Amino acid sequence: MDVDPSKILVRYNVAKEKAQTPEEMAAEMYPSTEPAKTICAAIFDGEEDDVIEGLEKAIEGGADAVKLIDDVLMVGMKIVTDLYDQGVIFLPNVMMSADAMLEGIEYCKEQGGAAPKPKGKVVCHVAEGDVHDIGKSIVAALLRAAGYEVVDLGRDVPVDEVIAAVKKESPMMLTGTALMTTTMYAFKEVNDRLLESGIKVPFQCGGGAVNQDFVTQYELGVYGEEAADAPKMADAILSGKGLAQLKEQFHKH
Amino acid sequence: MVKRYTSLAYKNADDMIFGKSVYPVKAELGLEVGAGYVTGEVNYAPRPEAGVSKEKLVSEYRRLTTDIMARAVQVGFPGISLETEHVEQMTNNPDWGGEVAHVQKTIMEEYHEEYGIKTALRHTPGDIRENRDLLALIGAKYDTLMESFEAVADAGADFLSIETMGGKEILDYAILRNDIPGLVYAIGCLGSIDMTMIWEDIRKIADKKGRIAAGDTDCSQANTAMFIAGGLLDKNLAHTIAIIARAISAPRTLAGYEAGAQGPGKDCGYENTIVKAITGCPIAQEGKTSTCAHSDVMGNLVMQCCDLWSNESVEYHGEFGGTSVQCWSESLNYDAAMLNVATETGNAKMLRDILVLSDKYRDPQGYVLAYDNAYSVAEAIAKDGDDLYLRAKNAAIACCDILNAADKKKLVMSKFETNALNDAKAALDAMTDEADTFMSDSMEKYKAEVAVFRPDDNYKF
Ligand code: B12
Repeated sequence: MDVDPSKILVRYNVAKEKAQTPEEMAAEMYPSTEPAKTICAAIFDGEEDDVIEGLEKAIEGGADAVKLIDDVLMVGMKIVTDLYDQGVIFLPNVMMSADAMLEGIEYCKEQGGAAPKPKGKVVCHVAEGDVHDIGKSIVAALLRAAGYEVVDLGRDVPVDEVIAAVKKESPMMLTGTALMTTTMYAFKEVNDRLLESGIKVPFQCGGGAVNQDFVTQYELGVYGEEAADAPKMADAILSGKGLAQLKEQFHKH
Repeated sequence: MVKRYTSLAYKNADDMIFGKSVYPVKAELGLEVGAGYVTGEVNYAPRPEAGVSKEKLVSEYRRLTTDIMARAVQVGFPGISLETEHVEQMTNNPDWGGEVAHVQKTIMEEYHEEYGIKTALRHTPGDIRENRDLLALIGAKYDTLMESFEAVADAGADFLSIETMGGKEILDYAILRNDIPGLVYAIGCLGSIDMTMIWEDIRKIADKKGRIAAGDTDCSQANTAMFIAGGLLDKNLAHTIAIIARAISAPRTLAGYEAGAQGPGKDCGYENTIVKAITGCPIAQEGKTSTCAHSDVMGNLVMQCCDLWSNESVEYHGEFGGTSVQCWSESLNYDAAMLNVATETGNAKMLRDILVLSDKYRDPQGYVLAYDNAYSVAEAIAKDGDDLYLRAKNAAIACCDILNAADKKKLVMSKFETNALNDAKAALDAMTDEADTFMSDSMEKYKAEVAVFRPDDNYKF
């Protein structure tokens, strides 16, 4: 027995796929000059060794190692995250590219003997009692890929520890992940304790169990539907948006 | 040394069917699993507020068990299985889990005596073997876990299960990087080593207490991959990679049977059809009637060879049709009744094939798990059944070959899925045939790359 499935189901992912391949789309976005072009391609491919090799050549050719970070590495990574946002490439490609880019940054720092100023600092954590940390790891990787410094507190983080970290690090933004309906209430407590201390840091919350209705119940909370919303919100904060505007941007109903 | 499977329990894929297994098991209160009929297995979770004390928790389970049994007789179920997946407090305090099992079993006995309804109780302690940041598979937490198994077995749980986490520390890293050798190492090697250790001990407890060591699932890894892959439009993982992870999970779940499990396998093991082909032991499955817990892309197909039919999990609360556990157990029972009519009227294979065809081309995952293809994966595993590494690699290769050989007009894959598949196949082709080489290379690689990997503390190599 067999069936023609076309009347039973639709594979919308196939129907929606772009005609161009991701490689072709990326190639159109690479800078036109060398060595930037080759390094960007190596980042897209997630090839650490090629990234380092390209950087070596660039430095030999007289380029400033620290400047290469912003001028080349971040540019290459932006191509990758833009294509991910457009739904052209998938998360593992972003992770591999981010690994390659971060190695490149380390190399440039060693060579240049200095580090560029990160765009800002973000503290990430998984709610107390919750070990589901894959979503949080994705959030942290995308933030790093976008040029933010991430303080990753890990999973099952007690409220006290979150508060202490925020006081110590003074981040521009805090993120929380919860996958269980039983653990997400910790976010309210984090909110209350921060407010008690007079700290009004935007607190972006996401993860399987969390929804917008829940997050709107506490003042500092902004809902994050998917991991890519984290760097988007950090960018929005950098561009000067306050809590109310962030909620407007990220709350869909 | 455990004996590994090197042959299949079924001569033909077509012999595999729902409700029937080669080696049925029987619970204390009369319910047989795999003996010719399918039974609903209802799953539930207490409300968060109920977890604050032992008394509250026990009372929550008392209420929900009574609700289920009451509905079962109101609607005329011939039998029902209950699964209690522990919340962490119940495993960490073995007497809590034991008390819950005792209270549940007592209610089930009362109904059995009064109405003759056949029942079974499964308890699934949580895999508590981890500290905040690190797995702790061996040591004090292991001992507590075993005490929990003893307590629930003592108190009347018929089927003992768990969803173990061995290999997860590597999987979490590898799956976000399309690292196929990493999947083989995490699931096929590390996972199977842990499974072998823990299931030998669970079997000893089951034998001592006259209970059944039921089975495990690779929930922590293959389901993680399946959930990251998500729906058709999600962009986090190719579905072709998710099904490779699933294929590799079959030999891992199999390791539990080799070490003493007898079935019914755990509901969320979507790999169970492959495993049943090899062991002939009964399996639980979940799909279209577990949408309360999660979405998948093969809700009908997974019914194909089930012996118990489950709803995975639902929080205990009120619905318009009664409490949630009553609503879902009723749906499960109607599903089971339909399957059992097919069996009674000689139409079982026809219904099985209808269920399969409704999802076989929906997604690469369902395609490979369709019983005919699942059977081919099983053959590839048994071929090198004695070698944990090779059989896992074989499963992955068989999965790729099945997808590549599919009728492209029926199983339509996106370029993205096809590219990921081609890359995965190339990575598999480049892997060594020597288990020792693979194990030592992987150890070195992941020690360097994965900060939380503590092989010496967690695995008895
Ligand atoms: C994988 C998994 C596990 C793995 C976790 C592995 C790991 N390292 O994370 C393991 C096996 C360890 C596990 C254990 C348990 N699990 Co579990 N698990 C899952 C599963 C199958 C998938 C979760 C997942 O990884 N999804 C993929 C990731 C990528 O999604 P995500 O985290 O939501 O992140 C995405 C977005 O939400 C977003 N995001 C996340 N955070 C943030 C933050 C910000 C700022 C932003 C912008 C975005 C964002 O970005 C991501 C991508 O876009 C779910 C099923 C389900 N329906 O979700 C159950 C599930 C979450 N688990 C559940 C349960 C019950 C458990 C256990 C208690 C089981 C047990 N009896 O032991 C234990 C929990 C122990 C504990 N104390 O936490 C239940 C929770 C029910 C509830 N109470 O709400 C679920 C829902 C299963 C079910 N249907 O019953 N589990």
